[in-house]
Amino acid sequence: MTRRRLNIVLIYAGVVLTCAILLFPIYWLVVTALSKPIDLRVLPPNFWPEVPQWQVFGKVLGDRPLLLWLGNSTLAAAGAVTLSMSVSIFAGYSLSRFRVRGGQSLGLFILTAKMLPATLLVIPLFGIFRSVGLVGSLWSVILAQATLIVPFTTWMLKGYFDTIPRELEQAAMVDGCSPLGALFRVILPVATPGLAATCLYGFVLSWSEYAYARTFLTSAQGNWTANLGLTTMKGEYVSDWNEISAAAIMVAIPVLLIYLFLERYLVSGLTAGAEK
Amino acid sequence: MSRLPLLDLARPSRRHWLGYLLLAPAVVLIALIIIYPLIVSFDISFQKVDIVRLDRRAPFTLANYQQLFGSAEFWMSCWVTLKLVVVVTACCVALGLATALLVNNRFRGRTVARLLVALPWAVPEIIAVVIFAWIFDSSFGLMNWLFFRLGLINETINWFSDPNAAFVAVVVTMVWKGYPFVSIMALAGLQSIPEDYYNAARVDGANAWNRFTNITIPSLMPVLGVTMVLVLLWVFRDFSIINVMTGGGPLKSTQTLSIMTYEHAFGFFKMGYASAVGVVTLIFCVLASLLMIGRKADGIY
Repeated sequence: MTRRRLNIVLIYAGVVLTCAILLFPIYWLVVTALSKPIDLRVLPPNFWPEVPQWQVFGKVLGDRPLLLWLGNSTLAAAGAVTLSMSVSIFAGYSLSRFRVRGGQSLGLFILTAKMLPATLLVIPLFGIFRSVGLVGSLWSVILAQATLIVPFTTWMLKGYFDTIPRELEQAAMVDGCSPLGALFRVILPVATPGLAATCLYGFVLSWSEYAYARTFLTSAQGNWTANLGLTTMKGEYVSDWNEISAAAIMVAIPVLLIYLFLERYLVSGLTAGAEK
Repeated sequence: MSRLPLLDLARPSRRHWLGYLLLAPAVVLIALIIIYPLIVSFDISFQKVDIVRLDRRAPFTLANYQQLFGSAEFWMSCWVTLKLVVVVTACCVALGLATALLVNNRFRGRTVARLLVALPWAVPEIIAVVIFAWIFDSSFGLMNWLFFRLGLINETINWFSDPNAAFVAVVVTMVWKGYPFVSIMALAGLQSIPEDYYNAARVDGANAWNRFTNITIPSLMPVLGVTMVLVLLWVFRDFSIINVMTGGGPLKSTQTLSIMTYEHAFGFFKMGYASAVGVVTLIFCVLASLLMIGRKADGIY
């Protein structure tokens, strides 16, 4: 049994050490935010602020339009997720239940669409949005982000619908439901956890997106998303790292919270369609 | 099923209208925001245009591609992309696999450990850049201080004005952001290996190393293959990390093909030329993933 104990000790030591190294950057972000600016300009560095400067969050919120940026990010994410879900629910259901001619190749196309480089798509999208006057508006970002989100949500929902037995719809239809009625009244209520997870996943994708926001919104300061605003803080001549870090924490928190909640759905989301 | 043939969704008459109808909104949206833009970008890559216009076409020309293949900048970017893709993918797979194997052990608190090990996955890319830009800061960054303490350097490294150092900084950031994806996938793969395999091997007297090389690794190969392709494509396509961290510099040492595409489109406003770069990038992406998937398939069957 001593060998077994030694094993356990080694495993714990390994896990603790690995976590400490890999999570250190996150720890350092928090410490930097809570340090006085003067303490960030000394070496050796202080690995723990003597007096945590909690007021930095209030200062950043007061000095910068961070709330506006966070609001814009929320609007963009809500729009992009709503748009994506409203087509993905039907497409995912169709791919899961019907054998439509060309359906398989469409599914594969959707799957590969998420591998397209944004830097290629952004050029024609810029031309298209410019010609309809959308550049600078949040709608441009919503539409462009749908190119990233639709592939994920469609495949995630298809996978989720696949796990729901067909007998459910059949029973509903015996009771007189139309096929669409069966989808809305039986399948979607059963699929609520999956729908929620998929929405949140789309939210994370939108919240973290940068290329489209930067291209379409740079000249429209009032519509900057949180990510875009954050990068302008970093670009300033004198960087106040404590303030940038505080802003970064506030931008990251929604996504981190979703991660903690989503962790158990994560694998199915990430692997959605990967076997194909 | 046979008692209710009328309600079988896969029945031929059901296949038609509803299945198509349900797909229609997605098809329309994808046609508008993915397929049409793709056609436009192919189209303008054969035109000498500065800013994309949909109402007017310039004459067909191969000039963009000729200029592209003749430019040193393009080949330099290819080389940078190749280096970055190989180094980052290799490090992500190694680190991701190692962490997955570590937290796949049985110990109390492993649920929490799994959550923590994959945490950087949830940190948005821009925030990862903020963190590492500060760690690699040339005056008061931790990295310089650490290297000093370890006696590796005598004078501070200017991480963002030295080409090699900037490349390293980008690699570290991308690996930190990218490895959790590999560990999540590898962990899922590890858990799908039946315990019986290991028990049978134990009965046959295989030691831990034998079990690892003969059961774990072969069983993981399909998952790892797909994961590797996805990581590779992620590095290939990355815009945000490099753009915010180095902008492709210094001296284009971190300018991948994606960054070059963007720079020519929105820095110099040569969108015809930029589209040509983008189209070539896309072709490389497709080739690389086909090659990887092809090799993987050979390995399994």
